[in-house]
Amino acid sequence: MLFNSIEFAIFFPVVTAIFFLLSQRWRVHFLLAASCLFYMAFIPVYILILLVTILIDYFAGIYLERVEDTKKKKALLWVSILSTCTVLFIFKYFGFFTGSFVGLADLLGWHLSRPMVSIILPIGLSFHTFQSLSYVVEVYRGNQKAERNFIVYATYVMFFPQLVAGPIERPQNLLHQFREWHPFDSVRVTSGLKRMAWGFFKKLVVADRLALYVNDVYGAPRNFNGLQLTLATLFFAYQIYCDFSGYTDIALGAAEVLGFHLMENFRTPYYSLSMSEFWKRWHISLSTWFRDYVYIPLGGNRVSKSRHIVNLLITFSVSGLWHGANWTYVLWGLLNGLYLVAGWLSKDWRERFYGAVGLHENTLARKTIMLLTTFALTCVAWILFRARNTSDALYVFTHLASSWNFHQIATQQFFLRQFPVAIAAILVLEIGQLWNTVASVPSLVSRMPVVARWALYASFVMTVVMFGVYKQMQFIYFQF
Amino acid sequence: MQNKDSFDLGFSQNTITASAEPPRPESAERRPAAVETAEPKPTVMLEPWKAVRRIACFFGLVVLLIFVMNAMITSGLRRLKTSAFGASNQIMDGKVNAQIVISGSSRALAHYDPRTIEAITGRTAFNLGRNGAQTDMQVAFLKAYLAHNQKPEIVVHNLDAFTFVTTREVFDPVEYTPYLYDRDLYSALGKINPKIWKSRYLPLYGYVVEDMNFTWVLGLKGFFGWSPPEDYFLGFNPRSKKWTDDFQNMKANNPHGVSFGIEPEGIRVVEDLIRVCRQNGIQLILVYSPEYAEMQSLTKNRAEVFGLFHELADHSSVPLWDYSDWKYAGNQELFQNSQHLNAAGAGIFSADLANRLKAYLAAQSKVGDMPVSSSATVSHAQD
Repeated sequence: MLFNSIEFAIFFPVVTAIFFLLSQRWRVHFLLAASCLFYMAFIPVYILILLVTILIDYFAGIYLERVEDTKKKKALLWVSILSTCTVLFIFKYFGFFTGSFVGLADLLGWHLSRPMVSIILPIGLSFHTFQSLSYVVEVYRGNQKAERNFIVYATYVMFFPQLVAGPIERPQNLLHQFREWHPFDSVRVTSGLKRMAWGFFKKLVVADRLALYVNDVYGAPRNFNGLQLTLATLFFAYQIYCDFSGYTDIALGAAEVLGFHLMENFRTPYYSLSMSEFWKRWHISLSTWFRDYVYIPLGGNRVSKSRHIVNLLITFSVSGLWHGANWTYVLWGLLNGLYLVAGWLSKDWRERFYGAVGLHENTLARKTIMLLTTFALTCVAWILFRARNTSDALYVFTHLASSWNFHQIATQQFFLRQFPVAIAAILVLEIGQLWNTVASVPSLVSRMPVVARWALYASFVMTVVMFGVYKQMQFIYFQF
Repeated sequence: MQNKDSFDLGFSQNTITASAEPPRPESAERRPAAVETAEPKPTVMLEPWKAVRRIACFFGLVVLLIFVMNAMITSGLRRLKTSAFGASNQIMDGKVNAQIVISGSSRALAHYDPRTIEAITGRTAFNLGRNGAQTDMQVAFLKAYLAHNQKPEIVVHNLDAFTFVTTREVFDPVEYTPYLYDRDLYSALGKINPKIWKSRYLPLYGYVVEDMNFTWVLGLKGFFGWSPPEDYFLGFNPRSKKWTDDFQNMKANNPHGVSFGIEPEGIRVVEDLIRVCRQNGIQLILVYSPEYAEMQSLTKNRAEVFGLFHELADHSSVPLWDYSDWKYAGNQELFQNSQHLNAAGAGIFSADLANRLKAYLAAQSKVGDMPVSSSATVSHAQD
């Protein structure tokens, strides 16, 4: 079920109402049933895959706690990780790896046929797989007690607001919340609803409108001029941010309405002054997952300089592969890793440069240069992320600056009249975010008289209704 | 000091504050780090039922606004006197009542100037052509016209190479949204898109979900009395553009030519058109208006399509006027693309057709009420 669907508009109020009317004893059962219904709205039978993952890690958690012997414990952990990852591999990476193998064999002169297996990727598989893995690792490390109540554990993996695109929760943050009593708190409920409204604005008004342009251009980049390629790349930067952070806002808002706290996933990432800062503000739940379960176990930065670089590149390449079974994602991850390495290695040189030109720390000019540089580097990386294949990505890279034609900006789906709306939507987004950095907008609004406040809220909702795009476009991150 | 084991390796480590660092997982005994929220929570909390009532009131207000907005947009579009909506409004309000009616696709819309036809034939005329409409939608619109206006003497129906292809997706559905109360239109649209009920019964659905062109803005402007500049003259929408790259692009994409589908349902729709005209005592004339000459040779199954045109016309004794060999069919100056004449071409063609109509009407008046024989199925060159 998509958040931006009529089905969800009915599902969510009904689930919320029943949830608050139920006694604590039945709430978790009800949440699990609602989450199953939510997931089965996509492809019903795929809930069995989720069940397999849940069963593996549920029993793994219990046995990991029982086993005393360190070696056995470690072996059990690996069995659990490999079993869970096998499910992920079969559904997400089988075609990719066999395709790559056949391609490589072709290069070596062995002509193999590609297996004709076409598997539809279960929605959000990577998200709930990682959430499950996080549970077993935390139980193994002793940071989390094994959950013996199957219903509670299954709800932890399947909690519908974050089931298909995160945030990838840690058991320490979420599991205990299913045992707690969540009374109806009007302040919290309205706060959650406001956050959902902001998420819908990001998704429907900004992301889905920009998607019309981006899909046209990146669908056949060779049909468009340099200006259109550049605009589509800039638009994609906003599209993916608004799509994913919009989803996150709706997810966090929906959870907040029900009384649950999920972790923040974004902190205005495009205001970052460096790539390392960007990765602390972008998809935080995934970045910290890779940090805790891949980067640090590899040795992190407590190793030699060269090994540290290798650790970073491995972590980011795997992160890229997590996003999708395509070389473009691997290269995207690798490029981001290279950005961090280059930033690290050139730090002293850049400090000297800034000093030489008189751009001292905390000056507006220096911050502006850093912000724009970071944004530009991010956009360049997004080309790899969005392109259908490496050949398209290469074409976009090499044609961004060529044959700009200001008389030919529109595309088949995105007429000229849509530009003012798209630009205005981005401006509203930026103004809202900037304003929120200096003062809490919701608290300012909450101090207004009721009539003015309601007028403002109603105008905002009507703006989303009137300027939204309702093609029921899936959230980009659902495919991961 | 740099935090060990973090990704903090970038351009300006000192700009990253500690608060930007996402919380690390904590031990099972400790509570999770509080989720950072920008909003300090007010201390006043409403009683649950009071809060529920208040939330329900707010959403009630929003729903009311949606209904009001929908009514304003529909009313505004129905008030327009110019543009496509102005033409449709005249039709649906029964204000046309023309003696000669032209129906068809965008080719009809852009090729037949009723002002020229009126001047030459001395009969009132109106163009019902619809952009992006296949024959099923063209016939539905003609039926809607007949339901709201007096029966015309003559219906000139423009044929296309794709006449026997039915509609897969309604082009610009918002053009029909204000008129979904019309039974024929609604039923025709329902066959193409079973979800059309949403546009009829869910407020704003037809304007914001089905339409990407902000037609609702036009509706709101219309509600406050504004009308767009007139570009529909008795339903005729001339195209000012000169020859474009469309044809060259099409040729490049289809070097071996193109074929148009012949669907049984498409044939049935043309038969339905003939039946409707006969039942209403209307003289139907099928016209294949000019098509760019080079395109004709690129249409691989043209003979098959035209064979069917002739078969249907002969079988029903309906005249078929074929302008395939129009003397200007090779003149790019008169076309916008292979299928559409520009305004200059439409002017010449409309005069040609009007003169032929005039002669035809004169001949008809001489033979009285005798049905027109299939010998009327002649090409423009023979005329």
